[in-house]
Amino acid sequence: MDIRFTPAEERFRAEARAWIEANKPTDLPDSRDLAVRRDFDVAWQRKLHDAGWAGISWPKEYGGRGATLIEQLIWFEEFARADAPEPATLFVGLNHGGPTLIACGTDEQKAEHLPRILRGDTVWCQGFSEPNAGSDLAGLQTRAVFDGDDLVVTGQKIWTSFANIAEWQELLVRTDPEAPKHKGITWVICPMDAKGIEIRPIRTMSGHDEFCEVFYDEVRIPRRNVVGRINDGWRVAMSTLSFERGTAFLAHQVRLCRMVEDLASLARVTPLATGAALDDVEIARRIARLRAEVEALRSMTYRSVSKTARTGVPSAEASIIRLFFSELQQRVAALATEILGVDLLDLDPAGSRGRSDADPVRGEWAWRFLAAFSSTIAAGSKDIQRNIIGERVLGLPR
Amino acid sequence: MDLTPTAEQEAIQASIRSFLESELPMSRVRAIAEGAPQELEAPWRRAGELGFFGLAVPSQHGGTGYSVIEEMLLFEELGRALAPGPWLGTVLAAHALAKAKGDREAARRADVQAGRSRVALIDVEEGASGSEAKDDRFTLRDLVVADAARAELLLVLHGDAVRLVETSAAGVGISSGQVFDATRPVARVSLEAVPAERLPASAHALRRIGTALSCAEAVGASARLVELSVAYASVREQFGRPIGSFQAVKHRCADMSVRAEAARAATIYATLSLRDESDDRDFQLSVAKVLAADAFVQNAADNVQNHGGMGYTWECDAHFFVKRARSFEAILGSSRRHLDAIAARLRGA
Repeated sequence: MDIRFTPAEERFRAEARAWIEANKPTDLPDSRDLAVRRDFDVAWQRKLHDAGWAGISWPKEYGGRGATLIEQLIWFEEFARADAPEPATLFVGLNHGGPTLIACGTDEQKAEHLPRILRGDTVWCQGFSEPNAGSDLAGLQTRAVFDGDDLVVTGQKIWTSFANIAEWQELLVRTDPEAPKHKGITWVICPMDAKGIEIRPIRTMSGHDEFCEVFYDEVRIPRRNVVGRINDGWRVAMSTLSFERGTAFLAHQVRLCRMVEDLASLARVTPLATGAALDDVEIARRIARLRAEVEALRSMTYRSVSKTARTGVPSAEASIIRLFFSELQQRVAALATEILGVDLLDLDPAGSRGRSDADPVRGEWAWRFLAAFSSTIAAGSKDIQRNIIGERVLGLPR
Repeated sequence: MDLTPTAEQEAIQASIRSFLESELPMSRVRAIAEGAPQELEAPWRRAGELGFFGLAVPSQHGGTGYSVIEEMLLFEELGRALAPGPWLGTVLAAHALAKAKGDREAARRADVQAGRSRVALIDVEEGASGSEAKDDRFTLRDLVVADAARAELLLVLHGDAVRLVETSAAGVGISSGQVFDATRPVARVSLEAVPAERLPASAHALRRIGTALSCAEAVGASARLVELSVAYASVREQFGRPIGSFQAVKHRCADMSVRAEAARAATIYATLSLRDESDDRDFQLSVAKVLAADAFVQNAADNVQNHGGMGYTWECDAHFFVKRARSFEAILGSSRRHLDAIAARLRGA
């Protein structure tokens, strides 16, 4: 057992830190216009790509960095520590679509898509969830029938981020309605400009259009776009989700640690009747508990990465970390709203009443608080995570 | 960076576990708690023969020559077994005596390491009312001390000073009555100007080791509670199904395992920080104590609930864990004190 990194790993950290510090963009657009955001992400990804940092976990033969697990951990720590912006619109391509093609795609599919994903030339979105297939993803009903060299798709997907700016979609369709539900699904690359696709934005509780519904009316997709075997899409999809729960998740935890530091800053400058909120024993202890928990989260992650590095398979405890993280994030944001009190209610201008250099993110908490509600729902709800822990980690009966 | 045990460490832990499963099974723990303390004598002597009390003592001083990491593995297993006995005081005394010179100290060291002397731990803040050190004599009024009634020695941490007191000395008063946690019975200890030899060791350093090891004990117990709940929920049937198939029970077990894993990761990290003398070791130890206390206290409570009516009985082992969790919370700094230390750090103090 050892908490120290090797000299080679420390050199990698120094190199990553220096490069990110010198190159991270600081002009993150203050706009919710996705086209603007996309231009920003593409420029940033291109910079990462040209310097050899794109696809940190991708194998070298596909143009990635081919970093070890520990190096990936270091990279994401440094990325988040520098508060470098995530190329959010490119997330699905880089962390789902690309890795799935690497694992299951044909040579042609790899050649066509991987270099473009890596350079940030193409945006991908996800077409998994449906109105009647959320936690029960395998119950999806969007139909696809073969007609000559095409798949003809009819149905509906939901919760699709960036559908309106994406070129491609990783799409799960039902190709055998007679088979057991896990055995009749196919994973296919859907061109988003195909005829018959209609996209409608969904407004979330924060009042912003964060994701979309996508409707398919006899959309024709070439058969060569099927990834993996026909009717084997469930297995292909599960490999995609294990990437999602893999190392790309590490940065979120470092960002959560920063959020607890922000919380302490907030409490430091927010006056109560008796002095600063941070001098209040109860509030101070509650923040201290969150600080302890976020530190434990890091240790859990280190332990999970250690296990995976040793065994070569994703650690079974990923759901434990995911559950701990998502509920912790909500507790952090909720305590901030308590400390803000009536100041939370005034979002104008940008909710930044009382903002100072010592507390630069004061206006962010309202949005962080609302956004945190999605953290125990997206990518497997907390209830599903508890089922997974109970059944797959602890072996309790179904 | 690797927070998983090496093959050798796994083997050490496995051998400790099999020793405790055969020498200190729950039936014997129960017998000890129910009034047969002599049941501990044979396993305690055997543990001494196996070198358990001197795992981190250098071999030239008669120890095994491992580190605090192997001690952490020992305490995780002790917690898992809910082992009675003054393990912590005895192991810390072995640390404190490691560098002591002179024939008397060497003899003491040999006795402690061999399990011939059992050592209860007393932690007193400097300046605490009623405590006084004067000319190698120590005075202490009425302190609640775990395992004092069956100890030959008292290891007194006072400020940064470390002292050793013989319980047979004149002026030592130890009185015991009914106790809350029978697997770790307390007694009231008073010392009236008793001879207290000062050892060449730092009490702060011993408190750090003690915190790490007691956290490890809590981690072992917390993980054991998950096992006990899962085992019961898998066989106990209601409505024609094992109760573990119901989400109300399954999800409670999942939460127990999350707490145990968080506490384990924090404790491993803190103990490694301690071994490496990292700058943030005190912070990491506070983190471990907060998480370990939460895991032990909550898991013990959830385990009672998972056992239903049986969980409320004396016959079920669940209550022993509930009580031990409170013993853990009370020694070497409560969660509250450790939270205050973390808060002070956040204030930049």
